[in-house]
Amino acid sequence: MSFYFLRRLNLLVFTLFMLAMASFGLAYLFPGDYLTNLTGIHFESEQQRQLYATLYKESDGVFWQFIAYLDLLWQGEWGQSFSSNQPLYQEVTTYLPASIELSAYALFVSLVVGIPLGFLAGLRHNKLADYSILSMSFIGYSIPVFWLALILILILSLQMGWFPISGRISLLYYIPLDTGFILIDIIRSDVSYKWDAFNDALRHLFLPTLSISIVTSTIILRITRRSVIEVMGSEYIKAATARGLNRYQVILRHGIRNTIIPIMPQLALQFTTLLTNAMIVESIFSWPGIGNWLIQAIYQGDYPSIRSGMLAVSSLVVIFTVSIDIVHKIIDPQRLYRQRVKI
Amino acid sequence: MLKSNLYQEEQFPSPLRQTWYEFRKSHLAFIGLCILASITLIVILGPFVTPYSPLTQNTDALLVPPAWDGNGGISHVLGTDGLGRDVLTRVIHGSRVTFGISVFLVLVAMLIGVLIGAFAGMNTGMRSSILNHLLDSMMAIPTLLIAIIIVAILGPGLVNSMWAITLALIPQFIHYTRDFVRTEVNKEYVIAARLDGASPARIFVFSLLPNMVEMLVVQGTLALSIAILDISALGFLNLGVQSPYAELGAMLSEGLDIAYIAPWSIAAPGAAIFIAIISINVVGDGLRSALRNRLKY
Repeated sequence: MSFYFLRRLNLLVFTLFMLAMASFGLAYLFPGDYLTNLTGIHFESEQQRQLYATLYKESDGVFWQFIAYLDLLWQGEWGQSFSSNQPLYQEVTTYLPASIELSAYALFVSLVVGIPLGFLAGLRHNKLADYSILSMSFIGYSIPVFWLALILILILSLQMGWFPISGRISLLYYIPLDTGFILIDIIRSDVSYKWDAFNDALRHLFLPTLSISIVTSTIILRITRRSVIEVMGSEYIKAATARGLNRYQVILRHGIRNTIIPIMPQLALQFTTLLTNAMIVESIFSWPGIGNWLIQAIYQGDYPSIRSGMLAVSSLVVIFTVSIDIVHKIIDPQRLYRQRVKI
Repeated sequence: MLKSNLYQEEQFPSPLRQTWYEFRKSHLAFIGLCILASITLIVILGPFVTPYSPLTQNTDALLVPPAWDGNGGISHVLGTDGLGRDVLTRVIHGSRVTFGISVFLVLVAMLIGVLIGAFAGMNTGMRSSILNHLLDSMMAIPTLLIAIIIVAILGPGLVNSMWAITLALIPQFIHYTRDFVRTEVNKEYVIAARLDGASPARIFVFSLLPNMVEMLVVQGTLALSIAILDISALGFLNLGVQSPYAELGAMLSEGLDIAYIAPWSIAAPGAAIFIAIISINVVGDGLRSALRNRLKY
């Protein structure tokens, strides 16, 4: 058990180290002065450059430069953006929560919709309900998320006028930035228009969340369905039925737990897919999240932002994956390795 | 009258034929296969049939609605876009770019992935352990995210986005090949070949590869749908194919500005992507369940 944790922690540290190394290497690979790419400052005088050269240990060779870079990363000195001249650490920590918030709500909606439908389809395997749910799931599973978002905007925003097209909250409402999660910020703030603002933020959230979660809930549905079919065909379910339990007792006592636990890590891992889809959807809805920010940085050739944005997003994904693995191992110690997704 | 021959069939159907029988049983999968075949046909033959060029702009026919609309005409079946280019022609040429490149990328990624995966599966110890560690973390990162990061490094453009998607697709092929080789390498038929003195390369090519083909086809269809989605997503974000060249994702982002007055300019390319991906997924799923059911008998 502790060997497993050590292995996972080793993997985590190793991967984060590789990512940091890659982001350091990027400063050399991008065009231009490497020190400018690291700090994000276009040096005006040789003196200014010299100041940063000592900070980043330019004269000491690549290895010590990397150590200095790691040290500065750890202290939150990520350099500054070419386009906004703001410190990158601050930029990333304002934009990242917006993406996490959107993905988290979308994951929640997908789980609430996907798991029950998956159970329904799995329990009625090879019957009409199964076939119709499965056929519907093909549509959600294959639709390109950017096209879906455009159609939703065209119909629900432009034709019907029910939901706002872009942004997180109407400009009428000023919400002080605290945690970066808009709904939590609104609840924690003490403004007079709290509930109007909350309502408005929810309406802004609706379309992005819907377009992301349609795709993800079908994936979750299919994973759940496959697991239900496998569990319901197993020996212990037959034994439970033979003991005289009726169908509902069998499902409640033996079915649900054995179905959910093995697929739990896969369901949680959909968060990473969600985050990618969120990055695309953000740029359609002008959601001020990390995806939108990163894509703008790519357009503008803002190399310090690309470097730190890449580091932040991929570290988040890796840390999330490893912690899901560890949590799963604690809940279900018998399982050795993460199983592959079956859909 | 007694039958003289106890067995009805002259010969027992081969595994491939059995798969086909199982596959044909599902109507949905069969329809998907027909659609996929017609898409392939259109993509190959379409450019020889279309009367317009995908790049020629025609100021006399700006924003012509599709044929079924009152103001539309039969000369532009799916209408024209904001520069007077025929949408149907552009969709056909765009499909050619999007789907053609995706097939190519999947084949390249499969080749590289299978080679590395076989190496990782047949080796043990330090080398394979390091590779596995790296792979486990790579598998967790979604392909599109890897692709966006690689495009961020290389800069936007078609060739760069092709590199990005190939690199992003490789890990899953490595993973599946490695797992397959791991489970098969200790079975009797492989041990028999090894006892006969076959080298690892020979064992892989003559004993393992024939058994792997089905798994590769199924994984290939999955990867194909991912590749199409990713390449059009990159095109949509202006990170892949640059305008004016016709690519379905890039067409979508061009149509964005005129989406309200000319909805067909985003409906047509999006629908092309959607139909292609859904038919690939349906065929892939049918294939998977055919293979699963075949083993039941």
